[in-house]
Amino acid sequence: MSDASERLRRPAWLRIWGAALVPLFLVGAWLGLVWSPPDVNQGNLIRIMYAHVSVAWIGFVAVALTAFFGALFLWRSRRRDDVLAVASAEMALLFSSLTIIGGMTYSRPTLNTFWTWDAKLTLTALMVALLVGYFIVRALIDDPVRRGRVSAVVAIVVATSLPFNYLAAEWFRTLHPSRAIALDGSGVTMAPEMLATLLFNTVVAGLVYGWFLVDRARLGRIEAQLETERAERELATPSAGGVVRV
Amino acid sequence: MNDLLAVLWIARKDLLHETRSKATTVATLFFSALTLVVLAFAIGQDERLLQDAASGALWVALAFAGVISAAQSYQADLEDGAFDQLLTTPVPRAAVYLGKLLANWLFMLVLGVMLLPVTLVLYGASLPASWPWLIATLALGTLGFALIAVFYAGLTANLRARESLLPVLMFPVVVPILLAAVRASGALIAADDLELAAGWLRLLVGFDLVYAVLCTAIYHFVVEE
Repeated sequence: MSDASERLRRPAWLRIWGAALVPLFLVGAWLGLVWSPPDVNQGNLIRIMYAHVSVAWIGFVAVALTAFFGALFLWRSRRRDDVLAVASAEMALLFSSLTIIGGMTYSRPTLNTFWTWDAKLTLTALMVALLVGYFIVRALIDDPVRRGRVSAVVAIVVATSLPFNYLAAEWFRTLHPSRAIALDGSGVTMAPEMLATLLFNTVVAGLVYGWFLVDRARLGRIEAQLETERAERELATPSAGGVVRV
Repeated sequence: MNDLLAVLWIARKDLLHETRSKATTVATLFFSALTLVVLAFAIGQDERLLQDAASGALWVALAFAGVISAAQSYQADLEDGAFDQLLTTPVPRAAVYLGKLLANWLFMLVLGVMLLPVTLVLYGASLPASWPWLIATLALGTLGFALIAVFYAGLTANLRARESLLPVLMFPVVVPILLAAVRASGALIAADDLELAAGWLRLLVGFDLVYAVLCTAIYHFVVEE
């Protein structure tokens, strides 16, 4: 029992990391809500951008890392790479869902619509669909090795499809000037305070992603260990396993 | 060289099986023709609207047929354990993929060429002067679609709920293919605008190349058993 609870304990450095996220998040929120100036065109609505864009960027990083860990698993067949891939995929799904929610909140007052077939919106919506597919596949395969391999393959295909989806959606938009609404228009003429706020919030979002990645991977390793132990126990007493499972 | 022969033999096997059983042909041909009719009903009487929708309807019909044909090409093999025997033959797994890809691509391309006049008639459009480019669009679009469909059909062939799973998994991936194919053939059918179509055709070529390499390289992780 003590062994199990020992195993479940979060290491000290991870607890410090997690605790540091709270003040960092608050500083980021203060920078975005108070310190940074309102936008010339959008007024205070620009403040949504700091939360929205930072989350979206980290979401894409998360998908790329999912494919990267998946590729590592295909290459080395080490369970911990698969565990990292799942952890990253879960965060990717969370961040891209938040991106859609944030984007809708942002575009309703600025563009007067919840949804347009803009390239970035289309891309994010497809990303959510692709990630959901990733988890459906995982849920349907019992053998851990095969599950890891197949989902790694799916993750690689998903990550590869994102640039094409973006390209296609972007062209789709630009060929229809009536629907051409530049959502960002930023980047070029951003005030230094705004850029600093955005970058700070992106770093915080990245740290949040990293913390959840590490902690979820830690839980995933325990999960994998339990799964192996259970499988071994069932092998040792085949009748018990047979009765329970039928 | 031997591997190339294996690809051709596997494609030949699939096509021969199809020409003898005609299971997929019957199912997809009538199904996709019906899709065209139903979509025409849904769009209504407006001639301009119908003409604009022609390329979209054609690709919707082709996409549905492509999913069925890809799933069916594994189903026929799995039914009597032939697929396991196919995997034990001393050829690379990639050859199995490329063979099935070739068979599915040819099937979809022939289907597309057959559906094209039907679409033009039903939707009141006329064959543009640049029709060879339309055939090229069909070839590139069906290749891209088959690349993903055959790959994912292999992945889902052994899973529960595969019939509904395959489209759920693959449609988000083929969105760029469908978008580019619909836009390119739309530009050709409605406006005979080769310049506009060329941009989309380049995207199709890029997609086909990248996925041909990627899917061939990682297919063996998908079908190991």
